[in-house]
Amino acid sequence: MSESTAQDLTADATATVAAPAARPVEGAGAPVLAATGVAKGYGSLEVLADIHLSVAPHEVVAVLGPSGCGKSTLLRVLAGLEPPDRGRVEVDGQVVRGPSPDRPMVVQGATLFPWLSLRANLEWGPRALGNPRAAAVVDELLDATGLGGYGALLPRQLSGGMRQRAAIAQVLANQPPLLLLDEPFGALDAQTRLRMQEWLIGLLAERGTATVLVTHDVEEALLLGHRLVRLSHRPAAVVEEVALDLPTPRGRTTLADPRFVELKATVLARVLDA
Amino acid sequence: MALRQVEGETGFDPGDDLAPTSATATRRRLSGWRRVAIGVAFPVVLVMAWSTLSATGVLSDQLLPAPVEVLKSGRDFIVAPSRPPVPGVTPFRGAAARHIRASVGLWAVAYTIAVFVGLPLGLGLGLSRWMSAAVEPLFHAFRSVPITAWLPISLVWFGLGGGSARFVVFIGSISPIVVATADSTARVPRQLVDTARMLGTRQRDLARRVYLPAALPGIVTGLRLGLTLGWTSVIVGELTGTNRGLGAMMFAAREVSRLDQIIVGMTTFAIIGLAGDLLLRKVTRPLVRWADA
Repeated sequence: MSESTAQDLTADATATVAAPAARPVEGAGAPVLAATGVAKGYGSLEVLADIHLSVAPHEVVAVLGPSGCGKSTLLRVLAGLEPPDRGRVEVDGQVVRGPSPDRPMVVQGATLFPWLSLRANLEWGPRALGNPRAAAVVDELLDATGLGGYGALLPRQLSGGMRQRAAIAQVLANQPPLLLLDEPFGALDAQTRLRMQEWLIGLLAERGTATVLVTHDVEEALLLGHRLVRLSHRPAAVVEEVALDLPTPRGRTTLADPRFVELKATVLARVLDA
Repeated sequence: MALRQVEGETGFDPGDDLAPTSATATRRRLSGWRRVAIGVAFPVVLVMAWSTLSATGVLSDQLLPAPVEVLKSGRDFIVAPSRPPVPGVTPFRGAAARHIRASVGLWAVAYTIAVFVGLPLGLGLGLSRWMSAAVEPLFHAFRSVPITAWLPISLVWFGLGGGSARFVVFIGSISPIVVATADSTARVPRQLVDTARMLGTRQRDLARRVYLPAALPGIVTGLRLGLTLGWTSVIVGELTGTNRGLGAMMFAAREVSRLDQIIVGMTTFAIIGLAGDLLLRKVTRPLVRWADA
């Protein structure tokens, strides 16, 4: 898709929906994440063509794209787990050269250490960084995630939803400025997913953690994102950006908001027609 | 196996149907007490049949001595007053402690060395593609050399006696330890390693903090296999001209055609091997309980 089409779509979308959101945090300083011209391929397979992405402090950016478009690859590059072929990624002004506790990624199907208790899992990060307050940090996180009474259990003794919350809590224990989420609730049933989404909205708002959320679920993108970034088919490039200024706090009632319904229909149509 | 199946399906106990069954099992397990009862009853029936055949003369004592003769020899082996040692003669009466101590000592020393060499070697093979590419073909080729085929070179290198015996048992124990450790280390999910790195774990701590614990259930399986194979190599190690050890006792018994003593030796091997495996399982159990299905 050409650059001009992308811009047309952007203008169109903003007109249909609302003026760009005036988030309180906008202009609050340098972006937490700045990715410019990022390209990545595997052999002859070009996955990411030319990605430009910036995330402001406290901002939640939802990256939406068709299945197999390279969303997960993008997140792995942002996390520093894979180097980009071209372009650069900066977090807090530092060029990303490898994985770091400043920008942890959480993927679908939680990756807790199965041989450790929930509490030991959460303490892993602070202890690895030599944080003397590890135990206190984890106490607070267990409460914030509603896992207070379960610290002694092993991951396999927790439900899928609890494990996913625990995986997010595990990386938040290092208080990262940026959180990368790859389809975090994809493996959960619909009701659990909505509860998790509401919980995450509250948690991110309270902690002000800038977030990139990658998903193929339009509803999830619109519910959680302050801004929507839509990717093309592979090789992926940004085709559209939409500011999402739906009323806060968002949750199950947002799903019935006429503006949400209209926006969802519009975005879904574009995803399907793309 | 077929017997158990039939019994489960004829509904011997209606409560059996309510017992929890694993979703993946193709055959239901018997309840705990019934398994134990059958496990004890079947050997008893076998021994009774054996007694009857011996008593009626159907089974010649040249082929298989009667159970009662074997039991008497077993008692002699353990409790008879031992005679002063005669140089060059392998004693039997009252010599159980002496032979068991020698065999178990050989096993323990060689196995410990195998663990200390095999674990790091396996971890290295599992972690390093280069090391794996360089060493694995050679390793697998030599792994198929039978344990007895190591005996001649071992005798040349270490001479008659303890050194050769330990080397043979070491060779017998080490391969399952290396293979299981390498394999389960290489299979540790990348996501676990990525997560550890994103949580701030240093590169040099990954082997100890992530790969080793994540691979532990597989490693324990290798440790158990190595222990059992090491024990079966002990008898080969005792072919090196010693007159101490269960293997030495059995070869001496063969020279004088004492089948009863040979069977006592075999039974002792079985009991000690089983006890060793149970002990290792008990010791490692807390380490791998998290991986129970």
